[in-house]
This record gives sequence, C-alpha cells and structure tokens, in this order.
Amino acid sequence: MSRLLLLSPLLLFLGLAYLLPLSGVMLQSVTTPEPGLQNYSAALGDPLVWSVIWRTLRICLCVTVLAVVLAYPLTLLWIKGNTTTRVFIELAIMIPFWLSVLSRAFGWLSLLSNRGLINTWLQSLGIIAEPLTLVRNEFGVIIGMMHFLIPFAVFPLASAMRAVDDRVILAARGMGASRMQIFWQIFVPMTKSGIVGAALLVFVFSLGFYIVPTLLGGGRSVMIAELIYLRIFQIPNWGLAAALSALLMVSIGAFLVALIKRAGVSS
Amino acid sequence: MHKHFQQDQVSMLKEKLKAGELSRRGFLQGLALLGGTSALGLTAGSAHAADKEMVFVNWGGDAIDAMAEAFGKGYAAESGVNVLYDGSGPLEGSIKAQAESGNPTWDLVDCDPFSGQALGKLGLMRPIDWDVVDPGKLRDGFQWEYAANSYFYSYVIVYDKTKYDTPPTSMADFFDADKFPGKRAMYKWGVGMWEAALLADGVAPEDLYPLDLERAHAKIEGFKEHIGAYWGGGAESQSLLLNGDVSMAIIWNTRAMLLDRDTEGEIAMTWAEGIVAPGSTGVLMNNPAGEKAAMEYIAYSQEPEAQAKLFALLGNGPANPAADALIPDADKFYNPVDPANFAQQTPLDMEWYEENYGAALDAYLGVISA
Repeated sequence: MSRLLLLSPLLLFLGLAYLLPLSGVMLQSVTTPEPGLQNYSAALGDPLVWSVIWRTLRICLCVTVLAVVLAYPLTLLWIKGNTTTRVFIELAIMIPFWLSVLSRAFGWLSLLSNRGLINTWLQSLGIIAEPLTLVRNEFGVIIGMMHFLIPFAVFPLASAMRAVDDRVILAARGMGASRMQIFWQIFVPMTKSGIVGAALLVFVFSLGFYIVPTLLGGGRSVMIAELIYLRIFQIPNWGLAAALSALLMVSIGAFLVALIKRAGVSS
Repeated sequence: MHKHFQQDQVSMLKEKLKAGELSRRGFLQGLALLGGTSALGLTAGSAHAADKEMVFVNWGGDAIDAMAEAFGKGYAAESGVNVLYDGSGPLEGSIKAQAESGNPTWDLVDCDPFSGQALGKLGLMRPIDWDVVDPGKLRDGFQWEYAANSYFYSYVIVYDKTKYDTPPTSMADFFDADKFPGKRAMYKWGVGMWEAALLADGVAPEDLYPLDLERAHAKIEGFKEHIGAYWGGGAESQSLLLNGDVSMAIIWNTRAMLLDRDTEGEIAMTWAEGIVAPGSTGVLMNNPAGEKAAMEYIAYSQEPEAQAKLFALLGNGPANPAADALIPDADKFYNPVDPANFAQQTPLDMEWYEENYGAALDAYLGVISA
C-alpha cells in the first residue's frame, strides 16, 4: 500500500500528461470527423500507408540486426578489455550518445555525399571513378539510424554480459573447450536476454524515427512517423493521423508481447 | 510548401547577417517584412504606448524580440496596436488547432492562399475585408476571400554551368537526361512538380489546370532513376547543388539567386517555364485583437516601399506591382514577378490546390518513395 502511495505522484503525472491525451488521440481515431472505423479502413486501404509501413519495417529490421551485431563485440571489448580499451570505447559510445541527432545526421551527410570525405578519398586513391551514392537513400538512413542506436544496444548487452559468472567460463576452459566453443556455446546463450533486450529496445525506438530518415533519406524514404506528421500538419486529417498512431502503437505493443513471451524473458 | 518557404527565408537572412552582407537593422527589417510588413516593439517606455497587441505567427525564431526596435513604429503610430511576432510556425494543422479552440491566441498567420481558403471555408479564418485591404494594390487574380497576397516566389530550374555547354531552356530539358546528363533534384512536397512534369510532357501552360496527375506521375516515374534527391527545404536544395550531389534542380528562386551570386554564375538559374507561387497573410476567426486591426495591418503591408525592401533582402517578388519599379535595374533579373520574368512562367492555380492538394501529395509521395 505504501508503495502505491510513493508511486502515486508519478502515476498521477503519467495519467494526466500521458494517458489522458493518449486516450484523446485514440478517441479521435474513431470519432473524427464522424463516429466509426472509417479512418482505419481508409488507412489500411491506402497503398501509400502500406508502402510506408513496409519500408519502416524493412529499415527498422535492418537497423536492429546491424546495431545489435555491431554492438555485441563492442560491448564485449568494453566489458572485458583492458583499461585503455575500455576508456576508448566508453568515449566512442558516450560522445555520440550525447550529441544531438541533428548534428549526427549532418555529420553523416558530409561524410557520405558525392563530394563528401569518403567519395573524395576513394576517388583520389583511384578506387572509384564516379562517386558512390551512399546517402539520400535507404542505405544512408540505415547507416544514420544504426549509428544513433548502437549505444541503446550496448547498455542491455553490457548488463547481460556483466551478469555472466566468470567461473562458468573458467569451468568450460578447464573442461577443454576452445575459445570459439566458449563464446558460441556458453557466452552467447548466457547473454541471450541481453540480445533480446537490445534488439527490442533498438527496434521499438527505431520505428518512431523522424529526423534521420528525413535528412538522410533524400526525401524518398518516408517512414511512418513522417507520414503521421504529414497527416497532422501538412494536409491535416487528424482522424487518419490518430488511426495511424493507434495502429503503430498497437502493433508495437503486440510485437513486444510476442517477443517477450517467445524469448522467455518475462522477468 | 509555403511554410517551408517561409522558414527558409529566415535562415537566409541569418546567413546574410552572419556573412556581414546585411546590417543588423536590415536583418530586423527583413524579419519584420516577412511577418507581413511591420513589426512592433514592446520596448518599455516606448513613445507609442500602445493599448493593444496583436500576434503575427511566422517562422522567425530568436531574433523576433529585436524586431521591435527596427520597425513597426509606423504601424503603431498609425494604429496604436503593437505586433508581437511568434515564430512557432503556422502549420496548417497548428492553425486549425488554434482556430478550433474558439479562443485563439494568434491573430495573423503567414499561410498558403489555398490553406487559408480551405480553413476559411471551415469557418476558421476571417474573410479579408477588401474595403480595408486594397485589391488594387495586388496583381490581378491574386485576391482571395480568406487570404491576401503578400509576396511571390517561384520554382525555377537551376543548373551546374560547368557540366553543360548549352543551358537548359525548358522543363523538357530538365526531364531529358540524354541531352543533359546528371542527377536532378525536385521538391518533396509536390507543389510545382506536377506542373513541371506536364510542361515537359508537352502540355501547354494554359492547359495545365486541372492537372492531369496520372500523366504527371507517369512522367516522374519514368524519370525517377535520374533524381538524386527530393529536397524538403531551401537550405537542403542549395547544398545539393553546392555539394555536387545533383547537377540540375527545380528550387525556389530565392535560393537560386543565392547560388547564382555565391558561385558567381557557376550554378545558374533560368526563369524559363518557372512556376510562380503566391504567399499570403490570413486572419484567424475570433482573433484576439479583432478584425479591424488585423485588416489594417495587412493594408499597411501593401506599401510599395515595404514590398521592395522585402525583395531587396530576400528576393521575394512584390505582391504590389507598384513595387516592381522601385527595384534597381541591376536586381530586376531576380524578381520573380518582373514583367520580363513573369511572362516566361506559369502561376499556380490556388483553386486547384485547395481542392486537390492532399490527395495529389499522397499520390506523389507514393510515386517518389516507391
């Protein structure tokens, strides 16, 4: 009871500042401009919505896999490396983590554009004749989002890796397991909850991305958040925008529940 | 579209100010003009102790506070109404939210004429009082029920001169990658792009409206592989050309002028088959300062001197044709509505946009993002 009392300011705040407006949005999706489910049928019957949903899923899945795969060895080095390595990795993770998403996106633009650093180097080294198209497409969006989200994969992975009992590793080594065997058969399975957690966090976070796809996507990589923005501000159709938001929220929720159940990380 | 254009104006002013091309005073003047014409200070101890305030929502940002000192004094002296500039941005959805509350805090907004019309017909905007605002100070065909034309800008072709021996002279050239090889850039929010595609496809300017969207989209679809990017804002369009990401683009004339000047003509512009867009001021229904003050403010902003000043700072075409003559000969080339330039271009049909923009943009986004 006293716990509930202690939590009550937070619950009250969340209720007023979050749940109430949220339910307003949900209500709008079935009442604007008139009661009924027409906003949902309009949203789901619109080929543009489907192509945007499909692109959003495609980009977010790529980003999730890449971010987690790249974050894994990085985290391992961070946890197990010597002091210099740790400090270096810590800086490499934390500095971009604190930088605004805008400046990071512009940084990528200047690296990846036609007269950017990478193309200039490759051309002056004679490796390529014509500049590669590295940005203003989905590739650029994936790079930018992945870079933004790697720190979010690192933290759950780190806590899972820290929880691995070193004695288990020692025991495996004592039993004659090779380094590869220890890694793939002992260490990775023991950090499974961290992998799932990292993937979930990155995926859910990535679904709502707006700035990175807008800046790095060359205008043609419209994702769901931008479509909702469009429906609120550019060509106002709030009922439709609310329906899209509801669909996004419900599908993320369903996805989370399914994954959590499946991975058995209910705790 | 317009809102993006507006926002762009402010960033251009800031850039100029930084580059030292513009005095602080000129900067403030520019901001005030963007707001419609005059801005008004609320400086304590002002000689014109105004008893009323009015809020004009534009895309200003930080420097708005300082506008007070530079301008508006004339309008305040005339009317006793101070104008506060709010830079929060009158997105169509935001105007709607303001007006639908029934108790708006905004008076005037900088909006697309077709947005103003659409919102007006929902009962959210006041009709322009054409007895106060002078329709004779505007160009023919640019007076609307709920929006008063405040300036013009154009969608024009710019091209990298170093890449082409002969300049492009039509939209057909823009859409011809054999004759003019190289990547292109187009506007992400569709406006002007349908017109460009149809002109390129052989539609005569006078037959453009109602737009044949299917034909326009087929033209764009077939040309898509040559498009390097769809720009969403002016600064982006400028950097696409400066960074060499594209060698030809359709962009706003204000940015085209900067590119032309900054690169000393290496990135050049043409008015040929450009698309002229009007910007306008609208008044929210039940605006706090009342109808009279808002209409008088708009009337005040029609002065030729103020309109010419806006052009001098930004390259926006004057809404009032009397201002054309006040533009120095050397700069006339950059005026989108100068008779010589206007004759080569086609104005957007606001009625068509009012009816069709939403659905057309949806379809356009489907084409460019597929």
